[in-house]
Amino acid sequence: MSALSAQAITMRFGGLVAVQDVSFTVQEHQIYAVIGPNGAGKTTLFNAITGIYEPTAGVVQFFDRVVCLTFSWRSAIRIALTSLACALATVIAVNIQNLWQASIIENYVYAQPFPWSNGLRDLFGALCGLSFASGVLAAILGGLAGGGAALVLWWRSRRTPDLIARAGVARTFQNIRLFNELSLVQNVLVGMDHRMRAGFWSALFRSPRFHAERTRFHAEALELLSFVGLADRSHDAAGSLPYGFRRRLEIARALAGKPRLILLDEPAAGMNHSEIVDLIALIRRVRDAGTTVVLIEHHMRLVMGVSDRILVLQYGRQIAEGTPAEIRANPACVEAYLGTESHG
Amino acid sequence: MQDYEVFLQQLITGLSNGMIIALVALGYTMVYGIIELINFAHGDVFMLGAFLALTLLGALGMEAWPSHWQLAGVAIMLLASAGFCGCLNWSLDRVAYRPLRRASKLSLLVSAIGCSFICTNLGLFWGGMPMEVFAGGVAAAAPKDFPQLIPQFNILGESAIRIVPADVAVLVVTVPLMIALVYLVKRTRLGRAMRAVAQDATAAALMGIPVDRVIGITFFIGGALGGFASVVYALYNNTIGFQMGYRAGMDAFTAAVLGGIGSLPGAVLGGLTIGCVRAMSDQYVETRWTNTIVFGILILILIFRPSGLLGSTRREKV
Amino acid sequence: MRWRPGPIVCILGIAAVLPLIELFLPQPAHVSEAVRGVFLYAILALGLNVVTGYAGLLNLGIAAFMAIGAYAFAILTCEIYPFQIGFWPGLLLTLPVGALAGFLLGAPTLRLRGDYLAIVTLGFGEIVQDVLKNLDVVTKGTQGINPVPAPSLGGTMWTAEDEYKWYYLLLALLIVVILAIRNLERSRLGRAWFSIREDELASRSMGIRVERIKMLAFSAAAAIAAFAGGLSTSVLSSTGEPSNYDFQVSILALCIVIVGGIGSIVGVLVGALVMIGLNSIVLVKATAVLETMGIGGQSNVLLSPNNWKYLIFGLALVLAVRLKPHGLVPPRIERRAT
Repeated sequence: MSALSAQAITMRFGGLVAVQDVSFTVQEHQIYAVIGPNGAGKTTLFNAITGIYEPTAGVVQFFDRVVCLTFSWRSAIRIALTSLACALATVIAVNIQNLWQASIIENYVYAQPFPWSNGLRDLFGALCGLSFASGVLAAILGGLAGGGAALVLWWRSRRTPDLIARAGVARTFQNIRLFNELSLVQNVLVGMDHRMRAGFWSALFRSPRFHAERTRFHAEALELLSFVGLADRSHDAAGSLPYGFRRRLEIARALAGKPRLILLDEPAAGMNHSEIVDLIALIRRVRDAGTTVVLIEHHMRLVMGVSDRILVLQYGRQIAEGTPAEIRANPACVEAYLGTESHG
Repeated sequence: MQDYEVFLQQLITGLSNGMIIALVALGYTMVYGIIELINFAHGDVFMLGAFLALTLLGALGMEAWPSHWQLAGVAIMLLASAGFCGCLNWSLDRVAYRPLRRASKLSLLVSAIGCSFICTNLGLFWGGMPMEVFAGGVAAAAPKDFPQLIPQFNILGESAIRIVPADVAVLVVTVPLMIALVYLVKRTRLGRAMRAVAQDATAAALMGIPVDRVIGITFFIGGALGGFASVVYALYNNTIGFQMGYRAGMDAFTAAVLGGIGSLPGAVLGGLTIGCVRAMSDQYVETRWTNTIVFGILILILIFRPSGLLGSTRREKV
Repeated sequence: MRWRPGPIVCILGIAAVLPLIELFLPQPAHVSEAVRGVFLYAILALGLNVVTGYAGLLNLGIAAFMAIGAYAFAILTCEIYPFQIGFWPGLLLTLPVGALAGFLLGAPTLRLRGDYLAIVTLGFGEIVQDVLKNLDVVTKGTQGINPVPAPSLGGTMWTAEDEYKWYYLLLALLIVVILAIRNLERSRLGRAWFSIREDELASRSMGIRVERIKMLAFSAAAAIAAFAGGLSTSVLSSTGEPSNYDFQVSILALCIVIVGGIGSIVGVLVGALVMIGLNSIVLVKATAVLETMGIGGQSNVLLSPNNWKYLIFGLALVLAVRLKPHGLVPPRIERRAT
């Protein structure tokens, strides 16, 4: 089974084509690298894959499945109900003074028990007696606005990053995006959030389930922090970490959701030699634990040493794909990378 | 009056008010475009501009001037208010916003709300000035009458539709200003610097653009537009009060958002739309529901077009 | 580890014994009456703190939710309406009513950018005031609804003279609200709120359902604000006119949160004490003193302390973000296991 398959991905911003017609497939348990000069469209490709951008064209499949809300009968019913509720609400809102007058004020005598059946009858009568404009027209307009809004909102939320993350795909960011004011443990726990089940009410009333879950996940978060070698700083603020540690914390946070596929965007950027050696070991351990790894990297030694297959991008197009040995033998790739090879 | 005449009359009122709103909205949109701040105090700067105009009017005794001299008086008030509001807006930036350039957007916005309240209070104090035009300063909070300097006759003669010189004055002031603004932003060096800062302040600074000065000038221009608008507003509506900044600010900001904040034509389009919607709602629904309708429309438009009518979606850099 | 009282417990402890001061004063000063406003605004500001402090969404229309709660409570309990469900059921119902109002406003608008959302909430605040004013058949327009019942204990209804009963009722409800908010803050939900405040896109990429989490913050805040509204209506025995719930109230609540310490419960309590102390105790007393001295009133606008209110709020906001960007009592980074 392939962990990730991208078919003919194109990403266009206005007139600018950032990624054009890129296709590749990552098999499970592989370490797959995407390389290319700056501005080749690697991060844009990642963003299109993880749902931050909507690809202009092309299909992304994770584990042979397109992760996207489909228009099922449930969403149709939900939109229809929203529309209906808005129609009703509009009618009531437009006519509330009359309805209130007819059903409540006309029937209520001060300090006497309220005749509910009469009130309801008169309310119904007043509703039936509405004029065309304040009844039917208001209902149609309200229903259209509500249904349209629901449809638009549904359309916008079809393929969002959270949906993709929940399908078992985690990522890190090129310019590290940690939650700086939260502690390390909390950062990791945010990554675990979609595996937790205790909701609003159990948090509010501190149910046994809440306590059980808290203990379990907290222990797991500490374990994960020691996996990346940050256990001793687990309660510091993430913003206080030095650069190299932040990258590791970001990887831990991404791993926290137990992803089956993890995308690392330049994990070695700004790291020194020994940190990179650690990182290579970490990436291998992640893969050996059963997670497929896709990474963007400039650092050729890391890429050549660790990847199973490599995709080369230039100016948004893919110019080669293959094993490290094939890429090294490909003259087009050598040329594209001539500039960066020197310091890589 | 026949139905279509009523409609046309309201359209004229709406467009005139809309042009004024648009002028204020331009101040919001320029500042937002450059530092992504809703300059909450802008409406109150506008209000203080009108107070300055009224003070000048009283101090120079313009009401007693012969009518063609009064035209010069209007010009004096326009320039004075524009300069004053520009400087005031610039100083707000200098004192309250510039130190927060690196702070979160929330802090900046809160600071702007604070400035707005301070300016409102200054307006209240100003209303208590012991001058005749402020009714001796007895009831400081009460709305003030702004004398009718522009004659009130119908340009169309005997027609049922009234177009008064004030309507024309609105156009005469606002349209050239808008053209000048577009020229400034699109064609001059300063405009290029402003657009560069709006796009990426750090990069602009690295290219040698004095970012803080450009932002300051933007505030000055935005404030000056508000100053012009305040005098036109006062002449057109003949009443000012210390709380009008909040109202006018809300309208103008709604207009800016409606048109797509950061976009100059958007602000004008939004202003005209809001002006017309207000006028039509006053006529065909009820005045007391006008605010509700305006905001209802704002919310609806934002649902369907989150970046406004003419705004472009700005992508977050990832 | 030995238990030590935290700052919240200390503050509430002091509040619990505060009315005893009266025993040492030569003449009744009605301390407990004066502090009521602090409690009410503390509850309101705690609600605002959930949405603005925790989730980072600026809500400039919190007073609208307070108004909704106040009117819902009044209509459900007042004897000029047929419902008359009583104090406690009415007060409890303000919570779902407020949450529903928050949901209705939030559902279409929470996807908007931060400052657009601020404007939408501001506009909502205006709309609610206008609607309450205009629907005079239902809401009695500018007259407000009264009399609104107070809680009754042992058959007799409380009156304004029962100041200690009111004091301890408000204190108890404040404690309940604090406990509820703390429970939410120190849970998965609170963490998700913080994460979207810190970096919305990153938390979305971690699988947080941002819209849902924002909606919970928005509705929870609205519910708490509505609760505060219902409570204040009962204390005053009237809703007052709709313009009692205007932008100024929202800004006062915002001042409390910003000056006190955004995102911190202790901060909000301190902020409420400072701002409300200033607004409804110091200014009111100063006005009274000036009047006994024979100055003030209408003659000079500068001499009436009430006219300095906007200036003080404004300066408080500007100076707070400039000098103490995290407030008087900044929130701590949670070091415990949450």
